Amino acid sequence: MKIFGKNKIATQVLTTEPSKNSGSMATKQVRYEALVKALHGDLYRYAYWLTHEKQVAEDLVQETFLRAWRALDSLKDEKAAKSWLITILRRENARRFERKRFDMSEYEEASIMDTQSTTTEQVIENQWLRDKIAQLPAEYSEPLVLQVLGGYNGEDIANMLNLNKNTVMTRLFRARNQLKDALEKEPKKVRLLHE
Amino acid sequence: MNNHTSDSDMPKINNPTNKMDDLQYRRSIYADPTSQDDDVIAAQNADPAKKQLAKELYLFDEKLKQAMKIPVPDDLCNKLLLRQTLASHQQEKRKSRVHLALAASVAIIAGLVVNYLQFSNSYTNLGDYALAHVYYEQNDFYNDDDNRVSLTSLNKKMSTFNGSFSESLGELISADYCRFDDMKSLHLVFQGLTDTVTVFIVPKEEHLAFTNKFSDDKLQGESLGFKQANIIVVADKNESLDMWQYNINKKITWSI
Repeated sequence: MKIFGKNKIATQVLTTEPSKNSGSMATKQVRYEALVKALHGDLYRYAYWLTHEKQVAEDLVQETFLRAWRALDSLKDEKAAKSWLITILRRENARRFERKRFDMSEYEEASIMDTQSTTTEQVIENQWLRDKIAQLPAEYSEPLVLQVLGGYNGEDIANMLNLNKNTVMTRLFRARNQLKDALEKEPKKVRLLHE
Repeated sequence: MNNHTSDSDMPKINNPTNKMDDLQYRRSIYADPTSQDDDVIAAQNADPAKKQLAKELYLFDEKLKQAMKIPVPDDLCNKLLLRQTLASHQQEKRKSRVHLALAASVAIIAGLVVNYLQFSNSYTNLGDYALAHVYYEQNDFYNDDDNRVSLTSLNKKMSTFNGSFSESLGELISADYCRFDDMKSLHLVFQGLTDTVTVFIVPKEEHLAFTNKFSDDKLQGESLGFKQANIIVVADKNESLDMWQYNINKKITWSI
């Protein structure tokens, strides 16, 4: 009987079916740790592309996970965890702007460049692309990051950003269009620098 | 914008009936290079250039993905776990502080209640209380105690009750105010035949029922109701309470 009971808890943690009694502290802890381990990277990257600053992104992720911990019982479907966290993170970011309205002006983008000494072609290209992605208007880069990095489709993104799907698709089109434009104008210059 | 729209310059393989024109297709595939929409698939099948563009964009997306995958700080995961642990620890601490405060309040209230029950009206009549009081203090006084209290100092104390004794009732060992069921009373201890005799002068109060005679297996008592106060005599069974009553009656005078 006891073993049976334990098994039940174990499967509950793994599958996390909408549990009747997810209040158990230990279960909550396990869920939380699983969530952090699985999703902190995605969240951090998303935060980074939202804020363009590593430290701010880190703080944002920390705030997000703290809030997530407090509200963990309200997360019923583990599959929705990532978008749930992204929603929290976006809200936190908005709050950050309410607190302190500073604008992300051009010179901040300089910090996006890692000064790496091992300059393989790939690294150069990544850096160049990062720079270009960072230069996109936020309303273009955000859905693009969600699509490319997050793997969400247009409808998901529309839900997350509270936009209609057509708007999202248009922004995605413009985002890629601008990046392709930039790529086709500049790569020779970039390549020349490193030959 | 124009320099990469070369697909529109490519020879069209066929169909003017194709539902998707170049611009539409480009918009769709730029918005989602992995699109599996029927229209998009049909357009790709009809036009290799469109298929090529899709492939190109798909590869571009791969590059974007690589670029977007900025390195995640190694310690971030641990930091997150640590911060949560600290936060919930503090929450626990706050909770336990609340619990402590609650427990303290309960303890205080319990103490007050016990106090109230014990020292207030738990005795319903004079007799029971008088007996309890005598038992409680029985070790404080001995019949052969050398201590004596003069009539003068007794009468000084009696003045609180507006009474006085014309002469001494006997050998007075002790005369002190005390709390008699929370009433300020005078507690007299006399030398008796075999053991001390206790006399209480108690203000008249309603909450203790007046009991004329009372006793248990060791002690006996009698109360005298005067207009100003009750006088209670408690002694062992060898003592003649009638005698004491008689003496008190004879020797006490009330000033009002």
